[in-house]
Amino acid sequence: MGNPFPGEHPEWLWRDPDPKSSYDAIVIGGGGHGLATAYYLAKNHGMTNIAILEKGWLAGGNMARNTTIIRSNYLWDESAAIYEHALKLWEELPEELDYDFLFSQRGVLNLAHSMQDVRDSVRRVEANRLNGVDAEFLTPEEVQKVCPIVNISEDVRYPVLGATFQPRAGIAKHDHVAWAFARACDAMGVDIIQNCEVTGFVKDGNRVTGVETTRGRILSDTVGMVAAGHSSVLAEKAGFRLPVQSHPLQALVSELYEPVHPTVVMSNYVHVYVSQAHKGELVMGAGVDQYNGYGQRGSFHVIEHQMAAALELFPIFGRAHLLRTWGGIVDVCPDASPIIGGTPVDGLYVNAGWGTGGFKATPAAGWAMAHTMATGEAHELNKPFGLERFTTGHLIDEHGAAGVAH
Amino acid sequence: MLQIECPWCGLRDETEYKYGGQAHVAYPEDPSALSDEEWAEYLFFRDNPKGPFAERWVHTGGCRKWFNAVRDTRTYEVLAVYTNSDPRPVISDLVADSAGATA
Amino acid sequence: MADLSTLQGLRRSPLHDMATEIRDGGVTGERAVQLAELPFLTQVGVRVAPDSAGARGIDEALGAPLPRKVGVTSQAGGHTALWLGPDEWLVVSETPADELVEQLRAAAGDTPAQVLDLSANRTVIELTGPGARSVLEKGCPADLHPRVFTDGTAIVTSLARVPVIVWRTDADAFRVVPRASLAQYVAAWLLDAVREFAPVAAEGA
Repeated sequence: MGNPFPGEHPEWLWRDPDPKSSYDAIVIGGGGHGLATAYYLAKNHGMTNIAILEKGWLAGGNMARNTTIIRSNYLWDESAAIYEHALKLWEELPEELDYDFLFSQRGVLNLAHSMQDVRDSVRRVEANRLNGVDAEFLTPEEVQKVCPIVNISEDVRYPVLGATFQPRAGIAKHDHVAWAFARACDAMGVDIIQNCEVTGFVKDGNRVTGVETTRGRILSDTVGMVAAGHSSVLAEKAGFRLPVQSHPLQALVSELYEPVHPTVVMSNYVHVYVSQAHKGELVMGAGVDQYNGYGQRGSFHVIEHQMAAALELFPIFGRAHLLRTWGGIVDVCPDASPIIGGTPVDGLYVNAGWGTGGFKATPAAGWAMAHTMATGEAHELNKPFGLERFTTGHLIDEHGAAGVAH
Repeated sequence: MLQIECPWCGLRDETEYKYGGQAHVAYPEDPSALSDEEWAEYLFFRDNPKGPFAERWVHTGGCRKWFNAVRDTRTYEVLAVYTNSDPRPVISDLVADSAGATA
Repeated sequence: MADLSTLQGLRRSPLHDMATEIRDGGVTGERAVQLAELPFLTQVGVRVAPDSAGARGIDEALGAPLPRKVGVTSQAGGHTALWLGPDEWLVVSETPADELVEQLRAAAGDTPAQVLDLSANRTVIELTGPGARSVLEKGCPADLHPRVFTDGTAIVTSLARVPVIVWRTDADAFRVVPRASLAQYVAAWLLDAVREFAPVAAEGA
């Protein structure tokens, strides 16, 4: 088929190569984190003889299903460091990748609805500032200045008592992010191999030497698992367990409307987060379904609850029409923080457990994972996030900052 | 929305239940005898299979009793429910039955 | 000890403040529904192993055995026992609570058992009329159709997302039994739910 826009659009952004028999490194998972890992393996560490193996199509999992929120206002030093590193990378990436993926720093409000919420929020704002993360605490009136459509009346079940505000936070167009990384990876020689599911691991003693796939055996001494909701499935094939549980997480969009919502509003208390995409859909997410599930769908009552919460905060949405709902599979850690580091198998590394918050961390997760795979040692950013923290007890409890769903 | 058969109350909507995670994880007989690794394993590590999973549910919105279910985490089909005094079902038999029923 | 009869004169039911709205909130016509609070009923909670001597003692004291199956109620001598769980019942009675508690504790004998006056824990909202079931079906996930939910059926379920007992006492009579702290919410939800069942005003009226 000919190109209907010659000169304007290329025929492809990345090649569709057959897998080679071996690589210097293999990244399992062609989502945002996998692409970012490969990108920084090539760019920061000069490793270009590498492959991304994706069981479906590129960025068809949570990268296609998230609500695109980017922020770094986490409580603990370790989290602030990695999420803020990500935010700084987001600020540079459109130029670096030469791809305008509509990163819009429109700010994120995290609403407080009880006195305890207020105390927690103020504490988090102070912690953020100490870590160089832009943050302020807003009164209800200031909240309304940032987002005029939020209902700040006292006559609601959970009145808005204030909010944390991170002005540098925002949203980005998730699929463009994936394409931008994919194009850059491809240009540096990375093989992006789709429809290639890893079915097992090749090991020499306790050392990984390759993977079995639906497209044959592929050898490599360095393998990274970046499979989000399916991390446990992969780990089981490699012979160990991860402290994560996979849950369905749903999101929805409305039909397209005129721009009414200038920022991002999150509320842990009433269980909803809302932004308006560039095209005009209202984008909303809520909590995970309570049970483990790999079905990429959830229960209707969760959506119902989420809509009720959204309507209380935004009465203006009363006549909005739902367009689509969908589900992804999120891998949730006991402390609502991710795992990046080594595994019980030598040469095999894992990046998992991001729960509902992986998208915002995409570049930093790739950065740290690439360092870990290239050098065999954790980067400063991910040292605190190793699997060993569950044994040492040095958990990084981000249930407050991680958001609605943990 | 799932519908789950409570062993005592019959078929009810998921909203009447709370999830309790993996079933049959026993509290260690002598926690102080465990290594840090073993304690971490007990505290934080649970199975997370893609497929049949023996798990606990509690009928909070009904009889308030805990029970066990085997549910397929791909299809969400509930393959069996059983109380703590019932014999544990053999998961491979359940899967065979389910395949037979839908064949 | 304070005079109990004086205290009873002072007590206020959970829906005291909504009495007028509840009285006037019903609708007439083909799908009529009337609402009423039945305050201060004796409600005694019983927990005992169903196959124990204590349970059998309580069966005898009540005059009808405690039901051993979900949904079933048993009635005798002014007592109705509602099945709440395999080892838990609620006895709604015309006997004063302190008297009934004493009787049932004695009847349980040496068997480990719990008999408690829970009268203040819940109140009772009665819905009567041909539209009653339809009103409840707007907010209750359980199947209330008479083919399964016959007269005398009572189950623990939810209404408008909060836990309640739903109890059918007659063809067109249901009791909704919420916790006292949720009673006003449930009553307000019911009053709203009832409105659509009012007859459509005649043309020109």
